[in-house]
Amino acid sequence: MSELAVPEPDANVLARRDEIVAGLRSIVGDDGLVDSQEGRRVYETDALTAYRAVPLAVVLPRTTDEVAAVLAFLAREGVKVVARGAGTSLSGGALPSTDSVVLGLSRMNRILSVDFDNRTARVEAGVTNINITNAVAGQGFFYAPDPSSQLACTIAGNIAMNSGGAHCLKYGVTTNNVLGLRMVLMDGTIVDLGGEHLDAPGYDLLGVVVGSEGQLGVVTEATVRILRAAEGARPILMGFGSAEAAGACVAAIIASGVTPVALEYMDRPAIKVCEAFAKAGYPLDVEALLIVEVEGSEADMADQIERIVAVAAAHGPTVTRVSQSEAESAAIWRGRKAAFGAMGRISDYLCMDGVIPTGRLPEVLVRVGEICAGYGLQVANIFHAGDGNLHPLVLYDMNDPAELRKAEAAGADILKLCVEVGGCLTGEHGVGIEKRDLMAAQFSAADLDQQMRIKSAFDPGWLLNPAKVFPLDGRPEKDEGAA
Amino acid sequence: MSEVIAPADAAELADVVRAHAARTAPVAVIGSGTRASWGRPVDAGQVLSTRAMAGITLYEPAEQVVAAAAGTPVAALDAELAAHNQRLAFEPPDLCGFFGTDGEPTVGGLAAGNLSGPRRIGAGAARDSLIGVEAVNGAGEPVKAGGRVMKNVTGYDLVKLLAGSFGTLAVLTGVTFKVAPRPETERTLVVRGQSLDAAIATMGAALASPHAVTGAAYDPGGSATATTALRLEGFEGSVNRRIAALKDDLDLTGEVDELDAERSADLWRSIRDVSALAGSSPVWRLSVKPTAAAEIATALGPIAPVRLLFDWGGGLIWAMVPDDIAHAGAPTVRAAVAAAGGHATLVRAPESVRRSADVFQPLPEPVMRLTRAVKRAFDPQGILNPGRMYRDM
Amino acid sequence: MQTGFSLAQLADSDVANSEEILRTCVHCGFCTATCPTYVLLGDERDSPRGRIYMIKQSLENDRPADADLVRHIDRCLSCLACMTTCPSGVDYMHLVDHARRHIRETGHRPWHQWATRWVLATVLPFPGRFRAAVAAAFYARPLSALLRRFEPAKPLAAMLRLAPRTLPPRSRHERPGVIPAIGERRARVALLRGCAQPVLGPGINDAAIRLLTRRGFEVVLPEGEGCCGALVHHMGETESAETFARRNIEAWTREIDGEGLDAILVTTSGCGTTLKDYGFLFRNDPDMAAKAAAISERAQDISEFLETVDLGTSHDRPPVKVAYHAACSLQHGQQIKDAPKTLLARAGYDVREPAESHLCCGSAGTYNILQSDIATQLRDRKAGHLSALDADVVAAGNLGCMVQIGQAVDLPVVHTVELLDWAYGGEVPPSLAAARLA
Repeated sequence: MSELAVPEPDANVLARRDEIVAGLRSIVGDDGLVDSQEGRRVYETDALTAYRAVPLAVVLPRTTDEVAAVLAFLAREGVKVVARGAGTSLSGGALPSTDSVVLGLSRMNRILSVDFDNRTARVEAGVTNINITNAVAGQGFFYAPDPSSQLACTIAGNIAMNSGGAHCLKYGVTTNNVLGLRMVLMDGTIVDLGGEHLDAPGYDLLGVVVGSEGQLGVVTEATVRILRAAEGARPILMGFGSAEAAGACVAAIIASGVTPVALEYMDRPAIKVCEAFAKAGYPLDVEALLIVEVEGSEADMADQIERIVAVAAAHGPTVTRVSQSEAESAAIWRGRKAAFGAMGRISDYLCMDGVIPTGRLPEVLVRVGEICAGYGLQVANIFHAGDGNLHPLVLYDMNDPAELRKAEAAGADILKLCVEVGGCLTGEHGVGIEKRDLMAAQFSAADLDQQMRIKSAFDPGWLLNPAKVFPLDGRPEKDEGAA
Repeated sequence: MSEVIAPADAAELADVVRAHAARTAPVAVIGSGTRASWGRPVDAGQVLSTRAMAGITLYEPAEQVVAAAAGTPVAALDAELAAHNQRLAFEPPDLCGFFGTDGEPTVGGLAAGNLSGPRRIGAGAARDSLIGVEAVNGAGEPVKAGGRVMKNVTGYDLVKLLAGSFGTLAVLTGVTFKVAPRPETERTLVVRGQSLDAAIATMGAALASPHAVTGAAYDPGGSATATTALRLEGFEGSVNRRIAALKDDLDLTGEVDELDAERSADLWRSIRDVSALAGSSPVWRLSVKPTAAAEIATALGPIAPVRLLFDWGGGLIWAMVPDDIAHAGAPTVRAAVAAAGGHATLVRAPESVRRSADVFQPLPEPVMRLTRAVKRAFDPQGILNPGRMYRDM
Repeated sequence: MQTGFSLAQLADSDVANSEEILRTCVHCGFCTATCPTYVLLGDERDSPRGRIYMIKQSLENDRPADADLVRHIDRCLSCLACMTTCPSGVDYMHLVDHARRHIRETGHRPWHQWATRWVLATVLPFPGRFRAAVAAAFYARPLSALLRRFEPAKPLAAMLRLAPRTLPPRSRHERPGVIPAIGERRARVALLRGCAQPVLGPGINDAAIRLLTRRGFEVVLPEGEGCCGALVHHMGETESAETFARRNIEAWTREIDGEGLDAILVTTSGCGTTLKDYGFLFRNDPDMAAKAAAISERAQDISEFLETVDLGTSHDRPPVKVAYHAACSLQHGQQIKDAPKTLLARAGYDVREPAESHLCCGSAGTYNILQSDIATQLRDRKAGHLSALDADVVAAGNLGCMVQIGQAVDLPVVHTVELLDWAYGGEVPPSLAAARLA
C-alpha cells in the first residue's frame, strides 16, 4: 500500500464502535448495515486500490430521511462520514478511514420523474450516469456529461467530482448540466438547492457543491438537464508524423469555427497497445492519431467534415479516414474506447489526469516522456485535445512497492509540470487523496484558506470526507461549537 | 455623495479593502456603476470602483481563452474577440438603456451579476463561461480561483460562487472567460400573433428539436402583435437547412416570417437588452420552469396591467408593473413564484421601494443559513456591499 | 490489483491460476453495472468486484471461507454478465469456480443446506431419478406455500413449485443410437442428451434431430453419455464434476476414434458452456488433457452450428412475433449473441428483444432453488420486459430459462431450434398449436 499520510484515527470513536454500530442499526436496520470485518473490508477502497482502510461500519440507506437520521446521529457522536456512489473514483474519493462510516448511495437508484416539456429529469443520487440517458433515449434525449465510467458511476459521484466526458467539449461538464439538488448537511439538515429553473436566486451554492468531493454535504437527489440528441454523429481519423503537426491541426480546426463534439488524441505507444487489442485498423507508423467527431444532420455532418478535412490538409496528415458507415464509425472508435482496458492487459498503470493549454502539448509530451524515463518507467498518452485534459498512463508493476512509489513520483512531477505550463492538477478525477499534497503547487495559502473557510461554512466539524482535497497541515482548528 | 476610489491595480485595491476591514467600514463595490441600482441600496461611506483596472491580460484565440482586468469595458473585449472571429457565448446584455445609466459596463460586472442573454439556453450563463477569477475578499486578501483552462476540478469551484454574488463576497479584480467561435451567420424564425400558451408550446418544441436553436423568446406585444422568435446560428448552408427543418417540424399556422442576419441581430439585441421595458417603472425578473410561464402570467392578474417579456423559452420572465402598485406588487409576485416554483428579483424600482422590499428572493431558512455562512467565510466584517442582496447581510 | 501470495501458495495450480486472474482486475467497478444481484441489492458485496475482493482476501490469507464469502458467493448467479462488461478481461468464471471449491472444502454450512445440495446432486443429474422426483413433487406441491415460510425449507418449496404438473410425452430418442441423415450425409454430429432436458423438454432435441437430419447431418446419441457435470461443478463439487465430465469425454472420444464426430452439439446453453470448459478442467491431467481439449474444440451450441449451415428456404407460415430471450450462458458464457436472432430472422420471424436483455432471468442452474427470493425478483423483472414486447411466443436457447420464464409469462415458451424446425419443414411446436398460432 502507498504512503500518503492519514490522520491518527480517533481512539475515542474506535472505542465506542459497538455503541455507534448499534445506533446505526436502529436507523437503517440489519439490512442496511454492513458490520462484519470481511464485509467492511470490501468497502475499504475504490478504483484507486493503492490506498485502503477498513471503515468503522457501512450503511446503505434507502431514503433521504434515513440519510438525514444517520448523519445527525453520527454528527452527535463525532464520527466522520465518507459518502460513496459506485466506488469508481480514480483519486480515492471514496476511500474511508478506520474511524469513519461509509455511507453508500447505491440503493437510492430510482429515476423519480422525467419532464420532457421542461427538458429535465429528477433522479436519486445513486442512479448510474448511463441510466439517466437510458431513461430518456426512447424520446431522442440524452444526459450529456458522459465519463468513460458512465456505465457504472453514479450521478452522486459525478456531482462530487464535477465529472466530464467525451461530450463535454460541446455540452459542458456536470456543473453546466445540473439544475438542482437535494442534499443533507452533516447535522442532518435537508437542503434543496435550485430546481427546474435555470438561475440561482442568490449565491450559486449549487455551483460550489458540485465538485466539492463529498465534503460539503451528502447529495441524495439531483435535477439535471436533458438534451435532444443530434440526428447523427460521425468520426474522422487522422494520423500525423509529429505531435506538433497534430497539435497545430487541432488549433486550426478550432479556429475554423466548426465545433466538433469530440477531439481525441493518442500518441504512438497508446496507438500500438490499442491496435494490438482492438484491431481497429489504426496506422502504426504515425506519431499521433486524432479522432474528430461531428454531429448534426447528414448534410451538416458532410459540410463539417469537408471543412475539417480541408483545414487539416495543411498540416500534412499521413492518413485521413472519414467514416462512411456505422460499422466504420464503430471501428474508428473501438480502439480509443478500449484504450484503458487494453493498456491494463499488458501492464498495471497509473492514469494521471492533468490539464494543459492545448498549444503546449508537443513540449509537454516530450517532458512527460523524459520524466517517466527518469524513473525508468514507460508512458502512453491519451489527450482530450478539445479541452486540454491529458491522461498520461504511467506503466509499472503493482506488485513491486518500489515501482509504485516511482510511478507516483512520476505522476506528481507530471502534474506539477501541468500547473507550470498554465494548466491545473486535475480536469476530471478530482483531488481526492491522490493529489491532496500537490495542492500547494497550484494554490497559495490564502487561496486554500478561502476554500477551507467554505468547507467550514457547510461542515464546521470537518466530519465529511476528511483527509482529502486539502493538505493536512494548514487546516483550521475544528470549530466545535458552530453549526 | 460617497467618494469614489478607483485603484489602479489589485494590490492597491487590496490595501483599500484591508483598511476598511480594519475599521469595519462598509464599502460599496462597483465596476462602472451602470447597474448599481440592481439590488437593495448600499449605505457606505466609500465607493470602490474597478474601472481603472482595465486591459486584456491574456488572449489566446487557439485556446479559446481570454483574461482581462475587471474594469475592462465589455465593448472593448467584444471588439478584440470579434477581430479574431470569436465572442462571449453567453451574450452579455447591456442594461444601460434599461437602467437609464451612462457608462461602459465592465467585464467584472458581467461576472459579478452573472449577466446572461438569450443564448443562455444553449450556451450557458456567464458563470458557465467563467473559468477563472482573481479577487480581493472582504479581509483584503487577494485570492484566486479557477485558472485559464476549461476543465478544472482542482479544489472547490469558488468561481461559480463568486459569479452572481454582486460584489458581496469579494471584489473581482480579474476574470478569465472561455470564448466561442462567432458563427458565419444567423437567421430568426418569427411567428406573429400567438397566445402565450401557443408560444410556450412552440418554443418548447423548438428547443426539444435537434436543430440547435440558440434563442427562443416571446413578446406578447403590449399594443403591437405578439411575436415569437426562434434563432439559429452557424454556417450559412447549415442555418438554411435547419431553419427549413424547424419550420417543418413545428407545423406552424399563422403569420411566419424569416429575418435575415442583420434584422435578426437587431431583434436579439433588443431582447437581450430588454429594450421594450426601458423606462422607470418597476421591473421584476423571474426564473421559472418554462411550462410555468402561463401560470405566472395569470397569477400576476391582480397587479395588472403588467408588461411581460419571455426569454429562454419561457424560463426567464421580465415583468414591468405599474408605478402606483404598492411595494411594486411584491406580495402578488412572491405568491405567484411560491405556487409555480422558481424565484423573482426586483431588478428595477425606486430606491425607497428597494430599501423596504426583499429585492432578491427570500430564501428558506437552511439555505439562508448557508448563505450567511458563505458571506462570513469571504467577508467576516461584512464590509462589502452590505445589504445589497439581503437586508441584514 | 496488487496481490500478496507466497511462493508456497502459488505452487498450487488453482491458486496460481486465480492469482493471475486477480492481477488482471483493476477494481474499476464497471462490472457492478450489469450484475443482476448488484442491481437488485445495491451492496458491493453482491457485485463481481466485491466477490473478487473477498475471494482474494480468503485465498491470500489461507483462510477458511467465512460467512460473508459463503453468503455472497452463493448469491452469485454465474451469469457471467460481468465478463462481457469487464474491460480488463478478468476471467471471473474460473475465479468463482475456484471460490466454490474453496467454500465446499472449508466453508461452514448449516446441516439443511448440505442436505438440500446433496438431494440436488443425487437426483437432478440422473433422468430416471429426476423423473420419479417430479412425479412425487406433484403430490407434495400443496405444501410449498407453507414450506416457503421457513428459511431452511425455501429451496424445497421452490423445487415443488418449479416441478411441472404434467410431463410431456417421452421422446423416442431417449436411448443411445444413431439417427441417419435424410439424403446424402454431409457430416456426423453428436447431440448432448443431458439430464433434466430429456425429462422436462424432450421435444427440444427431437426438433433438433428432425432439423439436422433433414439437412443431411447424421446425429449420434453416444453410448455412455450423461450429465455434463455443470450442476455439481457449480456447487463446488469438483471431483463429482470431473467424474461426469470424464465419462462424457470417453464416450465422445470413442465416437471420434470410431466413425468420427464433426461437432458435439448442445441445445442447453448452460451445458454448452461447461463442455467448452472441459479442456480447462483437465488441463493439468496428463491422461485427459488432450482428449478434453479435443472435446471442447468440437463443442458448439446448436445456434452457433446452424448459423453456418444452409437451411434452405423457410416454409409459408402465419407471421409470428418472437420475443427472444438471451440466455446468460449463451450471450455471456459463450459470447453467442447474434446467431440465434439471425437464424430466427432468416426464418421469417419478427424478432424482438426485451429491455435489460443482459440481465439474468434468475434460473442459473439450481439458483432458482437455492436462492429463490432473488431468483423470483429477477424472473418477474424479465417477464415484465418480455411481456411488454407484445409478442406471440418467447424463444430461448436454454431449458432452465424456459422453465423459469414459463412460470411468469402468459405466452408459450419454446426453444429457438423448435421454431427453426417448424420454419424449415418440421412440425409446429405443441404449445404454439395450442395457442392457435399455426
